[in-house]
Amino acid sequence: MTKKEDKSQPGEELVKVNKWDGSAVKHALDDAVKTCLLGDRPHLKEQFGLVNTRLALCALAVGVAIMAHAWDYTHPFPQSRSVLMFSVLAYFALMGVLTLHTSFREKGTFAVAVHKEKERTWEASSDMKKYDDKYLLTLSVRDSKGQPPSPVRAFIDTNGVILDNLVANEVNRLYNSLSAEKKDK
Amino acid sequence: MGVASMLQIDEMLGDFNRMNKRQSLYQVLSFAMIVSSALMIWKGLMVVTGSESPIVVVLSGSMEPAFHRGDLLFLTNYKEDPVRVGEIVVFKVEGRDIPIVHRVIKLHEKEDGSVKFLTKGDNNNVDDRGLYAPNQLWLTKKDIVGRARGFLPYVGIITIFMNEYPKVKWAILSILAIFVLLHRE
Repeated sequence: MTKKEDKSQPGEELVKVNKWDGSAVKHALDDAVKTCLLGDRPHLKEQFGLVNTRLALCALAVGVAIMAHAWDYTHPFPQSRSVLMFSVLAYFALMGVLTLHTSFREKGTFAVAVHKEKERTWEASSDMKKYDDKYLLTLSVRDSKGQPPSPVRAFIDTNGVILDNLVANEVNRLYNSLSAEKKDK
Repeated sequence: MGVASMLQIDEMLGDFNRMNKRQSLYQVLSFAMIVSSALMIWKGLMVVTGSESPIVVVLSGSMEPAFHRGDLLFLTNYKEDPVRVGEIVVFKVEGRDIPIVHRVIKLHEKEDGSVKFLTKGDNNNVDDRGLYAPNQLWLTKKDIVGRARGFLPYVGIITIFMNEYPKVKWAILSILAIFVLLHRE
């Protein structure tokens, strides 16, 4: 398994991933896209609402489990029956909500940024099928007036080393074309 | 090529070092959720079967040829089920943690439905009075953990092995835990 090296800009860290591990590649590409999108654009502020919701749901579920375990430990089984039943149902209900959130609300979104002056929300999401080598990046922008998001897509093939320059070119191209489109409307 | 580079450990560690606070928190929560899910499934089984230990492993050969060491037993403990001579029950002697799987050979029943019974392993020469607590000659319903309703042969050998070599158990669990914590999604 060889990994290709590449000349990167001086002072930048080379990111090396296991190119056969699909999910590691996707995450590394997501990070590269995010760095490029937010790096030179100080007017874009990253929003963590989606991620925070997911974290809160997980923490709540774990909290329920811990509480159930502690209660059962202090009140040995037959007495703790109703508490346990409630906790188990609550736990799996929370897991259901979490799954709905990640599948429908989050859907591969890894970066959300808000442009304060123009009141626009940028969303970047990516999709990469399990054993496929195509990385689908979707960058969409939404006006505060509720215009439907306009997506622009790009395919990127990958090497072992994340070639930041190539990724940056694509992302900048997408961003600029979307901004120009919005100005025209 | 060493084993470490085969497993791509340095890439995985690199991935881990690049995680930000939220992602690290999500890794920890994911691990906690795996543990909690297992715990909640177990508690759920406890509620559904009414037994404090719905799945037990046969630890000795005292019930051969019916059950062998290493068999997995599925128990229920419904209050309405009467205890009858000839049934196989799993019970715990007061003060001891280990569940014992033996057959009921004698039973006395009062008008109000309370019972006291004597048990013996099929493969033993004597009844269980030697196993009961000092001065205890009979078992009652509250000593019962459950009644055997189904079984899986041999599967429980892993549990017996893990309990006899606890270091192996902790080593395997630690490796799994580290892998889950470091690998993104």
